[in-house]
Amino acid sequence: MINAFRAEWVPLFRPRFLLGTLGAVLGCSVLGTMLTFLSVGHNDFDGDPVTAAALSHPSGMVQGAQAVSILLGVVALSVVAASLAGDHSHGTLRNQLVAQPHRARLLGGKLVALALFVVLVVAVAVVVSVALSFGLAPVAGVSTSAWLSASGIAALGAGFLNLCIGSLGYAAVGVLAAILLRGPAAAIAVSLAYALPVEMLISRIYRPARDWLPVQLMQEVATGGTTFTMPYADALLRGVLYAAAMLLVALVFFRRRDMTS
Amino acid sequence: MTHGTGPNATRSPAAPQPAAASSTAAGSTGASRSPQARPRRARGLARSDAAIWTRGLTKSYGERRAVDHLDLHVPRGALSGFVGPNGAGKSTTLRMLLGLIRPTAGRGQVLGEPIGRPDRYLHRVGAMIEGPTFHPGLSGRRNLDQLAVLRGIGGHRGERRRRRVDEVLAQVGLSERAKDPFSSYSLGMKQRLGIAAALLPEPCLLILDEPTNGLDPAGIREIRALLGQLAGAGMTVFVSSHLLTEVEQICDHLVMLDRGRMLFQGHVTELLAAEDPRIHLVPELDGDARRLAGLLDEAGLRVEIDMRIGPPDAVAATEHRPVITVHAPEGLAADLNRLAMSAGIALRSLRAHRPNLEETFLRVTGEIDGDLARSEEGLAVPDGSVPPVGAGLGPAQSRGGAT
Repeated sequence: MINAFRAEWVPLFRPRFLLGTLGAVLGCSVLGTMLTFLSVGHNDFDGDPVTAAALSHPSGMVQGAQAVSILLGVVALSVVAASLAGDHSHGTLRNQLVAQPHRARLLGGKLVALALFVVLVVAVAVVVSVALSFGLAPVAGVSTSAWLSASGIAALGAGFLNLCIGSLGYAAVGVLAAILLRGPAAAIAVSLAYALPVEMLISRIYRPARDWLPVQLMQEVATGGTTFTMPYADALLRGVLYAAAMLLVALVFFRRRDMTS
Repeated sequence: MTHGTGPNATRSPAAPQPAAASSTAAGSTGASRSPQARPRRARGLARSDAAIWTRGLTKSYGERRAVDHLDLHVPRGALSGFVGPNGAGKSTTLRMLLGLIRPTAGRGQVLGEPIGRPDRYLHRVGAMIEGPTFHPGLSGRRNLDQLAVLRGIGGHRGERRRRRVDEVLAQVGLSERAKDPFSSYSLGMKQRLGIAAALLPEPCLLILDEPTNGLDPAGIREIRALLGQLAGAGMTVFVSSHLLTEVEQICDHLVMLDRGRMLFQGHVTELLAAEDPRIHLVPELDGDARRLAGLLDEAGLRVEIDMRIGPPDAVAATEHRPVITVHAPEGLAADLNRLAMSAGIALRSLRAHRPNLEETFLRVTGEIDGDLARSEEGLAVPDGSVPPVGAGLGPAQSRGGAT
């Protein structure tokens, strides 16, 4: 599995793929942070007022990144689906399976590498967002003194961790779609269609469904459990179970399925 | 026609016998003290000379059988060709041997290990199947790097891995373009990279699917030389190809497949020896044709006469010269010439014709078309002397060639 893990970094560091991914997360991060600070004095999407006082709290430093947690999740889902399904569609998976016939080890190594890649991508997004937040705070009249306190650093750590878990949850949807559909375009399109409009529509029509829809739960975890009535720990547990189930199904399919093309 | 010269007749005594129906343990070779175990042990020993061995290997997709009870026996150290028309089941067979798909039925071994456990033998196998497939945005070297890391070549030492990658790149003549992206390669260069990837693990068995696709004549010659060199060094090479001239030139062993079933396996020379050699005679005067045919017939030779067109591949086939075809080996050509001369018949031409692999393949698979079909039609006479599809091979050869 170590070899599969190490080998997966070679295509992940393709210049175009790497630059494209970093460009996407940088864009998301800058967008989220700027809009968050420009919203001071206005209401947010849910109608809640955005105030300088709220952003001056220790957790204000990661508000910008958390505002675009959905976009970070979408990037994670797309990166993972493109990478795994791309191996199918390019035919490179055949070479890899001849080189590493233990399918579970091969997929395991790939998933660990992809998960680490997603974490690095989220880290880049958070670093950029935090740096930009410090730059925009004086403009929006936000005090940064609490950000640099111990609780501020803890909030930053917790926010980063939540964003990672949320993005990895999105990535799990991408893994399942890639293994089942075996084509990057189909995998990304279907999984995004499910994650965004389908789940959002369901949860808006029937609000209690939010507590059971996997991507909604991931979203709740990514934002630190601030929007649901459900306790954060429950959302985390359910989200992790959903992700584990998706990975298990993907693994079973990957191990048992004929590699016909 | 020569019967009984197929692989059954010439295979070494160690050749494996068909598996007993009750024996279902795939690839079981373990020795046992029980009397019942003796046949199994005998079979196990018989398989030891085979790099690839299958019994009843079958792959079905719904009602359709892509591979139908295939009994393969590819000897170790052989440069073996795997031929068959499109859709014959070649790629499906190769995929089963590489653990990419599971057989519906049957069993087999690769390098002495059961095909159900590809992890036990694939580290000794190099393969390029269904064309070279790599990441388009990565250079040839980086693509090989990825596979080398995946195979654990050189362990954690980058230097050894790089050296091996350099070696295989040099072996296929790609060193100078190694840093260019795969997407910028020509088809021939992609093929070379595919072969380089297959050579990475220094395999005992090399499985290549159409390795000369897209190569120019010089490239084909280089690959031919490379494969010969690898086989000469003791590596078993199993190569599927549509270029039958290539297969005939480089392979000493052949497996021929059609509609998922085996038509022949054995030495190429055995297959061609079982074919029907002919000598075409064209008398200088058209009026002598029937007299010459009569003379040859009286001499006890099997003779056909075609009054319609010229020799099969004559430059001036439209001259409509009568052609006499004698079913006889090339060695009789001088005697036939003397016989004609003694009867006062001058010959415009006398040519020996031994069917090559391509003609044999097309005839056996029933895919005679184009020029070949026309030439066969040219030889046809109302007595139906053109051999029917499937003729030319002994019963053992034409069905399974059981070894």
